[in-house]
Amino acid sequence: MWKEVGDREAGRIRPRSFASRIRSHRVASLQLSNRKDIVTPHRGAVNSLQVDLTEGRYLLSGASDGSAAVYDVQCPTDYEGAGLVAKHRHLFVVDKQVEYGHKYAISSAIWYPIDTGLFVTGSFDHYINVWDTNTTQVVINFKMPGKVYRTAMSSLATSHMLIAAGTEDVQVRLCDISSGAFTHTLSGHRDGIMSMDWSTSSEWVLVTGGCDGAIRFWDIRRAGSFLVLDQSQTQFGRRPPLLEKTFMKGLETRALSSGQSSANGRATQKKTNSGSGVKHLSSSRYLRKGAQRLHPGMMSSHSRATAHYGAVTGLKVTADGMYLLSAGSDSRLRLWDIESGCNTLVNFGAMRLQTGKPIQLAVSDDSALIYVPCMTSIKALEMWSGRTSMTFRGHYESVNCCWFSPQDQELYTGSNDRQILVWSPSVSYSEEVDDGNRKEQISVVPPPPHLGRRSVLWRLGFFVEFREIETCKPFNFCLEGLEEFRRIQF
Amino acid sequence: MEGEGGEGGAGGRKISLLIEKATNSTAQEVDPRLFKAIKQVVRSSDDQVRFSVDALMEKMKKNHSQVRYLTLLIIDELFMRSKLFRSLMVVNFDQFLSLSIGFRSNLPLPPPASIASRLRLKGIEFLEKWNDSFGLHYRQLRLGFDYLKNTLKFQFPNRMENAVRLQRERLEREARAKEILIGKFQTLTNSFPLIKNEIESTIHEIGECVRIVHPEEDTHRPASLVNDESAEEFRSSSLMQIRLAALREGEKLQENSENKAVFDMLRELYKLLVSRHLPVVQDWTSVLVRVEPADTKTRDSLLKEFIDIRNNLLSLKKRCERLGLSVNIFANEEDEDIWEEGKVEVYDNETTGKFDKHGGDISLTKVEKTLIENSESECCKAKAPRRDTLEHADDSSDSIRMKKKLLSEAPVVSWGSYLDNWGTKRDALANQRGLELESHWGRVDHDAVIPAEKIAELNVQASVYKEHLGEIQPCLAPLANGSLCQRRDLKICPFHGPIIARDEEGNPINENLSTGEESEEEAISQTADFDVDDELDLQKVAEKLAKQAVKNVRTRDNEEEKKQKALKKAKVRAHNEAVLKKAAVASTSRSEAIIEDVEMAKSKKTLASMLKKKVTRKDRIAEKLLNSRVTDTAIRQLRQGEEASYRENYPNQW
Repeated sequence: MWKEVGDREAGRIRPRSFASRIRSHRVASLQLSNRKDIVTPHRGAVNSLQVDLTEGRYLLSGASDGSAAVYDVQCPTDYEGAGLVAKHRHLFVVDKQVEYGHKYAISSAIWYPIDTGLFVTGSFDHYINVWDTNTTQVVINFKMPGKVYRTAMSSLATSHMLIAAGTEDVQVRLCDISSGAFTHTLSGHRDGIMSMDWSTSSEWVLVTGGCDGAIRFWDIRRAGSFLVLDQSQTQFGRRPPLLEKTFMKGLETRALSSGQSSANGRATQKKTNSGSGVKHLSSSRYLRKGAQRLHPGMMSSHSRATAHYGAVTGLKVTADGMYLLSAGSDSRLRLWDIESGCNTLVNFGAMRLQTGKPIQLAVSDDSALIYVPCMTSIKALEMWSGRTSMTFRGHYESVNCCWFSPQDQELYTGSNDRQILVWSPSVSYSEEVDDGNRKEQISVVPPPPHLGRRSVLWRLGFFVEFREIETCKPFNFCLEGLEEFRRIQF
Repeated sequence: MEGEGGEGGAGGRKISLLIEKATNSTAQEVDPRLFKAIKQVVRSSDDQVRFSVDALMEKMKKNHSQVRYLTLLIIDELFMRSKLFRSLMVVNFDQFLSLSIGFRSNLPLPPPASIASRLRLKGIEFLEKWNDSFGLHYRQLRLGFDYLKNTLKFQFPNRMENAVRLQRERLEREARAKEILIGKFQTLTNSFPLIKNEIESTIHEIGECVRIVHPEEDTHRPASLVNDESAEEFRSSSLMQIRLAALREGEKLQENSENKAVFDMLRELYKLLVSRHLPVVQDWTSVLVRVEPADTKTRDSLLKEFIDIRNNLLSLKKRCERLGLSVNIFANEEDEDIWEEGKVEVYDNETTGKFDKHGGDISLTKVEKTLIENSESECCKAKAPRRDTLEHADDSSDSIRMKKKLLSEAPVVSWGSYLDNWGTKRDALANQRGLELESHWGRVDHDAVIPAEKIAELNVQASVYKEHLGEIQPCLAPLANGSLCQRRDLKICPFHGPIIARDEEGNPINENLSTGEESEEEAISQTADFDVDDELDLQKVAEKLAKQAVKNVRTRDNEEEKKQKALKKAKVRAHNEAVLKKAAVASTSRSEAIIEDVEMAKSKKTLASMLKKKVTRKDRIAEKLLNSRVTDTAIRQLRQGEEASYRENYPNQW
């Protein structure tokens, strides 16, 4: 660690790689946090978790008792045991008592991706509610034909405000918040839809997984699905088998996308990637299925290919938008190359997944680790080797959902035992450095939220130094004590 | 690295061996020596802690509650001591909890059930303890505790809260007691003058009474004192003492008809003093000592007053006792109407020597008994010829002593019509009843005589058997569970044979010897009492001793013979069994193994034997009654009965 800082100061390593090294180091040391307790007001299983995408500060949870709650994961509400344990109590909770509140279990709770002023909950009482965070009242609700399993909003969308809803019904519905009406129904699945996710490379592409075992890709601007994943179509590893015709093009696009996605945040992707994703996806489709002469819209709607035996319970598109991770009730985890639509045949080993409920998967921000709820534990799997790198045990009943917060490198998990657990890097990564006669305690601690992402705190003895995370240049210092950090104005 | 690994492996083997040994027992506790050894090994290095965690978790997975229980005890010990151990344990804490508490319905605790329940209780207790002491540092502990308590609603012993509650209750109780005391104190401060007045009036009255009686005494005393002084010069000290005692006797006021009223009054007052005022004063003093009021001054003054009063009362009491009042009072209290004092005194010189150790009324009943016995023994004279001869002794004191002796020995004969003809040897006329029954049923022989022998035969004393109503001694033979048999039988306990004297642990005290000694002692005492010739006595004793010796030798011989017989029998039996077993085992090899197992189990209580379910009576009955054939027939019979009754009731409905 200290060596890396030295290297960075000497300019031997690039700022970006320095930051990613620190991050990956922290991610590798995740463990159950003793310092951070999230106290849930829920009286039922926690089904859905999401930290807001704008500030990375507010955690939204939806539970089986029909309640949803929001917590501040940065600032604790109170302390226990002389400041040893920080308690994060809910900022507010909405439940049955609120007007138009959900009567039955909330299966999915998501933030409005643009800001934290709205959040959306889908419930087994057939309703999707859009809530105003500040008044904690329902703004709009949508009546669905059946139980709502999953709702999703595109994090990239700039031209639409659609909530995609997967229900017991065979059709996927898109609800428009701005008009309060359904804009589309996407039909093609033969059974209810348990899981869905928006593409992270195109705002128009939606991925849905049904109880019929199919994973379908939809371009919401057209009718019908344009791609159905087939588990029997396989490829080994990252790269698809090179076809002569696509060789040059494939190489080009992949180089482009990997360059953009590996270290950039979402914000940069939003600007550059939004238009191009669909284009090359569609082009690859044409190339692959060129022989068939069908109406482009109806091309794969009759396909009965399945991605899993049994229902598809979880879907997650990686942050770079290139790969799709799916979990099925056949207790398999599959990694798909979105571009080729092939199963990459990564062996994730034998595991047991919850079959009756949709599960929420998480991927670390550099797409190296996948977090999968496996019954009472959470497994961290390496994406390309499929090896289990860590197993997080702490829950006493089946885990339903997990959420990885890329900003704090923390993992939040919700389970049937009503707990939300925080898995954080072992606090204050520290080394002892001999500096002359004096031993200095130097550590990096996550910066307080109001300092922004661009800072790292160096603790040197009693002094705490603030440095830019990119350049490692010190820009301020103060005496130790977290309370004091907050009072300093920058 | 290799060397290290090898060393580690060896260390690991050592600790796992120790743990294996410690958990492989049927005891309730881990062997303390092994415990110590484990602790010592674990303390030696961090690696050992790691190995021990692995080994212990391995043990916890064993499908036997006893093993898990002992492992849990070891884990608790190490958990409370080692930080590293804790941090390693909590990583897999949910598994540990499911193995120790068995909260998952698909993973119940293994048999035996009794130990499994103990294991669960202990596990819950430990979890609470750990959570109390380390919960703050380990999220997993908090989570587990919270889950079991709030989600599964397990009942925790709640040590801390209980302690707090007990403390609070105690404080409350103390406060209440204090309040009551203060209330009492308040009432006392109000009523003190009243109490004081009452007591003082009593004291005053007693003083008056004493003064009334006293003047008589005053006339005697100076003279006697003068006598004393003049006599002092020429009398020896012993005589002097006798004289003083006599004087003191004389000093005692004698109750007579003149001062009877005064004495009665005095007695009353004394009673009042002892039974009422003294306890009251005592009570109030204790209240005053305990109470802590706002104004200590009044308390102190009151206390002082009470102590004064008490001293006053005590001195008064002493004085009264010197007047000889106390004895009278007790006599009056105890037997006012049963016996008059005078009658007791008649027999006093006879009885006191023997019965003075008993209380007053018991002695009275004794006296009564002796009275009756006296009268009876005169009736029984003919029956006891030996005593008869002895009665004619000239010496009066001797005869009295003899009489006493006889009386104490004489049997009590119940009264009956046979006493009419006691000792007579006359024939009796059969038809001399004064009623003339002239030729109603034929001729009457007026001179018919019943011979004396016949009468004696008819008048044989009939005595109804009376059960001996003494306490029947318990058998006291040692039982398997460590206690003594409490069965009370007269002579033979159906389980433990004849009832014999046993010591505290239930071992029989050697009966033969003790009885021999007793009889000897008896003999000696008898001889001493009867003043028989010493030489004769000695001879007797010698004879007895010889007899005893012979007897002892014989019994020893008998025992040896018996032992040899039993040995022979056992040999024969063992041989028979072995032959039978061989025959049975010859059939299959599996049965052989089973038999070996059985033998092992028999030889020692092992972990495996704990798992074996004991077949109870209930099981056997259930096996007989609940098998399918029996239930089917029962159902069929019931149905048949129903059908029959239905057919009978509704014969015409088709």
